[in-house]
Amino acid sequence: MNSISDRACIVGIGHTEYSKDSGRSELKLACEAISAAMRDAGLGPGDVDGIAKYTMDNNDPIEIARCLGLPSLRFFGEVAYGGGGGPVGTVMLAAMAVATGQAKAVIAFRAMNERSGRGTPRFGQAMVADTAAGPMSYLAPYGLFSPAQMVALAARRHMHLYGTESRHFGAIAVACRHHANLNPDAMMHGRPMTIDDHQSSRMISDPLRLLDCCLETDGGAAVIVTTPERARDLRQKPVFMAAGGLGGGGWNNRFMVRDIDAPDNEATVAGRRLFADAGISHDDIDVLFLYDHFTPMVLMQLEEYGFCARGEAKDFIGDGSRFLWPHGDLPLNTSGGNLSEGYLHGMQNIIEAVRQLRGTARTQVQDARYAFVTAGNAVPTSAMILRGEA
Amino acid sequence: MSTFPRPVPEYGSEPFWAGCNEGVLRFQRCAACQKLRWHPAPICTYCQAEDCAWETIPGTGRIHTWTVITHPVHPGAVGKVPYVVVEIALDAQSDLRMISRLVECEPDEVTMAAPVEVVFEAHPDGQQLPLFRLRR
Repeated sequence: MNSISDRACIVGIGHTEYSKDSGRSELKLACEAISAAMRDAGLGPGDVDGIAKYTMDNNDPIEIARCLGLPSLRFFGEVAYGGGGGPVGTVMLAAMAVATGQAKAVIAFRAMNERSGRGTPRFGQAMVADTAAGPMSYLAPYGLFSPAQMVALAARRHMHLYGTESRHFGAIAVACRHHANLNPDAMMHGRPMTIDDHQSSRMISDPLRLLDCCLETDGGAAVIVTTPERARDLRQKPVFMAAGGLGGGGWNNRFMVRDIDAPDNEATVAGRRLFADAGISHDDIDVLFLYDHFTPMVLMQLEEYGFCARGEAKDFIGDGSRFLWPHGDLPLNTSGGNLSEGYLHGMQNIIEAVRQLRGTARTQVQDARYAFVTAGNAVPTSAMILRGEA
Repeated sequence: MSTFPRPVPEYGSEPFWAGCNEGVLRFQRCAACQKLRWHPAPICTYCQAEDCAWETIPGTGRIHTWTVITHPVHPGAVGKVPYVVVEIALDAQSDLRMISRLVECEPDEVTMAAPVEVVFEAHPDGQQLPLFRLRR
């Protein structure tokens, strides 16, 4: 027993609506999402004894425990770089806590008023500080502030090295929007997008266009993790963590400025053991949930997690039709993703992965058994393979 | 007019910023393995030796990648867009790369691997910043 494989499962999911202005506190969003996840699992306050949070989440775990009436917390921890690096990482923390017996059932959640700015500053507005310290002192004085601008540098480099084109980025955005239009809960539901729409959207930080960038969202999302033994007695079909990994390295020493010429990076580290631990191959993956903060970063994940060779993502993607439910062979972010459903730092992608493996998704992939789920790259990251029961 | 943020020198990075004020790029070179490193670090990134010397390096390099920023996300960028942020591969060492801004050119003049040279420009607070321009 030398990995997390099959020692934890997701048994509850819950989320609020995703909006531009929730009209309530981040604490209320967290409590609503977590409470919904507990009801979904059939767990009461006395059954849940751990909380894993994103570092960037403003909610204090003990305050959540007080509000929800959780009588005892035996585990609390947070995933650094979360933010975008947090979604899978928080689930892994929860998994490790239950697998070691330190806790019985652990919450992983993300809640923020990021779009309205009521509690969390809008990330797309970047830092308005008039000083820059630490690693930012080597970036911001030159006018490099936002994640979009930083990943644009890597996107340009990828285009130069491998002949990747903007339309390949666009195919990812179009796939996510396609799925959002099949999901009434998605922020971009009812707003179709074509590749031409993508290509004519305004430049933000060339080569990144507006439609290459994720949404900004108010909302909350949560999952509950427990052991396979405990899961047998609960309401829902459990979804097993077949493998999980975190990844970071010295390559990330410049905030989100990425070195894509290096053989290894945060994603290759996180992904190194995943398929061996899960005992499957890439061909076994039925549905993909690649963290979609920016479309070029999704494209790079295809290469870095080994779905295709370095430089070959453009051919792997083609016109993007393979990502589209129901006819594509590898549906991507089937509820719309960070790009078009809502930006809860990837937690909403995990929830949709669970729905797919329970067989309850709106865009249900037939006989979905394995889902591949990632956190954001360009920051230290995490990835996992989830498995549904046959 | 608003300006871009002023750099607050990290503890241990002061010689770099002092070098800028003297009109030179001054980087750390490891006393043991002789490798230059960037960003500044308290120990050698390549061999973990602690001893290093700050050394003036040539202010030339080539464009490794760039982005043309058209959407101002900072008050200091309003009125400056479009501007070009570059990652420069410095001639001093093949794997030594730094972020800067490209000046004295139009965005459509930028090409991959174009040779560049450093030019210093004062931040309104007085600190000189190393910017780059195309070597023509």
